[in-house]
Amino acid sequence: MSARERLSVEIVKRLPGFTLEAAWTAGDGVAVLFGPSGAGKTLTLQCLAGLVRPDAGRIAVDGRVLFEAGTGVDVPPQRRGVGYVFQGYALFPHLDVEENVGFGLRHRPRAERIRRARAVIERLGLAGFERRAPRELSGGQRQRVALGRALATDPALLLLDEPLSALDAPLRRVLRDELSTILQDWGTAAVLVTHDVTEAYRLGDRIVVYEAGRVIQAGPRAELLWQPTSESVARIMGVRNILRGTVVKATPDRIQLRWRGQLLEAVNSPTHAYLPAPDTPIAFFIRPEYVRLIRKDRGAPDPGHHMNLMRGAVVGEADYGMTWTLLIRLDEPGAPAQGAYDLEVEVPRLVYEILEIERDRHWDISIHRGSIQVLPS
Amino acid sequence: MSAETASALAVSVRVAVLATVLNALIGIPLAYLLARRRFWGRSLLDLLVTLPLVLPPTVTGYYLIVLLGRRGWFGAPLYAWTGWTITFTWYAAVVASTVMALPLLVRTARAAIESVDPDLERAAFTLGRSRWRTALEVTLPLARRGILAGLVLAFARALGEFGATLMLAGNIPGKTTTVPLAIYTAVQTGESGDALVLVAALTALSCLVLLAAGRLGGRWA
Repeated sequence: MSARERLSVEIVKRLPGFTLEAAWTAGDGVAVLFGPSGAGKTLTLQCLAGLVRPDAGRIAVDGRVLFEAGTGVDVPPQRRGVGYVFQGYALFPHLDVEENVGFGLRHRPRAERIRRARAVIERLGLAGFERRAPRELSGGQRQRVALGRALATDPALLLLDEPLSALDAPLRRVLRDELSTILQDWGTAAVLVTHDVTEAYRLGDRIVVYEAGRVIQAGPRAELLWQPTSESVARIMGVRNILRGTVVKATPDRIQLRWRGQLLEAVNSPTHAYLPAPDTPIAFFIRPEYVRLIRKDRGAPDPGHHMNLMRGAVVGEADYGMTWTLLIRLDEPGAPAQGAYDLEVEVPRLVYEILEIERDRHWDISIHRGSIQVLPS
Repeated sequence: MSAETASALAVSVRVAVLATVLNALIGIPLAYLLARRRFWGRSLLDLLVTLPLVLPPTVTGYYLIVLLGRRGWFGAPLYAWTGWTITFTWYAAVVASTVMALPLLVRTARAAIESVDPDLERAAFTLGRSRWRTALEVTLPLARRGILAGLVLAFARALGEFGATLMLAGNIPGKTTTVPLAIYTAVQTGESGDALVLVAALTALSCLVLLAAGRLGGRWA
């Protein structure tokens, strides 16, 4: 993925009881608009496609201005060269697969139109289904027809609104991978809307996080998941164990903090080095799958070897099939950090069985400093 | 069948067919506008189109005379210009039937158009279709069952129209006497034999129409 900027978006749209105020950019590949329902993601897509006119702002694709409030430029949806895959696909029920895929090619000569539609159908593995009506197709085939219809016109930008939400869970997973392959294969710059964090991470090269009509963080997907810049981004991304402590000492590469009577050491973010004064309240999170339980058959835990060493009891647990989630309360006086417990810890089923956690409830735990992330306020 | 009876049937069918054609030309665009566009005066237009459904037909007929009669708002200039007036011609029966049938078509077609997923129209826009082409290629074809059902109902209404037709077109045998008017006349003058034939004919036709509308009314799967 190159750093070339292909899409620049700046939108203000006021609706009764809701204001969208979003600005972000994207390069090649897929930009995912992620956030809870009603955050303004679909409205953004409609503004990009020209179906809704923003009150202010500017939209440009590959340097071509599609909308600019200042100069009054507002290219109609018919001439934007933007492909749109609607939620539920919106295939024309009265047309067959070939007519659907060829719908955007009407201005071309008939022979060329059919050739192009057939080529797209072939490339998407739909050969043999040309004469089928949309209602005779499976969910996966419908998704491919919707993609094909949008891609047949060679759009400069492809928009996808919750493309997988109409499907049930097992199919959703398969089609997520299929969609990812098709998007990579065609190489069209794309903007995809989802409220599913797995989908966002699997499909997006870049993730733009929406909350209540605003963009709260935008960046490469790894950065979003591993270095959320605020507590609200962390919460929206489904991060667990978001905790609050106080700063003891901060340097450009380490931050020491106090929490529940423990002195914890965390790595400072290399991109957003953050230097709060001592005694500043600070939010941080610990990923449940990165907490280590220390085996008891290999001698006493060694503070020199095991970082951020703590001791606690399992006070609750839940079986998720392939993993177990343990709720751990530290052996410290005072109220636990998260209601009845201090930390949520996730262990693979195999580990749960080998360590006999069902029987043995008291554990030393350790967290590598790289697994404690601070959240600048 | 007497000559009067045959002529009444002929007038009725001719009036109903023409009124249905006019309904299609006026009613389908009106239904589309009311279903899909927001414009100034939309509620007023909706009210005006629907009014004949609830007003007594004679009152609708009275308004038609006020508009189109020899001294009416539009009728007077027309009479001054051409020396012709629509009242008491079979054209008047067509106008009366059209106005009376319009709400049935517009309401049925509008509901059918409103039930077309707007995302299908948006998809057509992003694929290069103008609003006009989208209506012709997507919206109306998908609403066609409802529109056809509305046309069938409009035809039936036009066939049975009595009050407004009597007001504007009168009851001139062989000219403006439609089947319902002929039945009324026959019963009034005690010629119940003629009346019975026409009653049977209208009943049979109405049953056919309802069956057809019922079949068409089934939603697009």
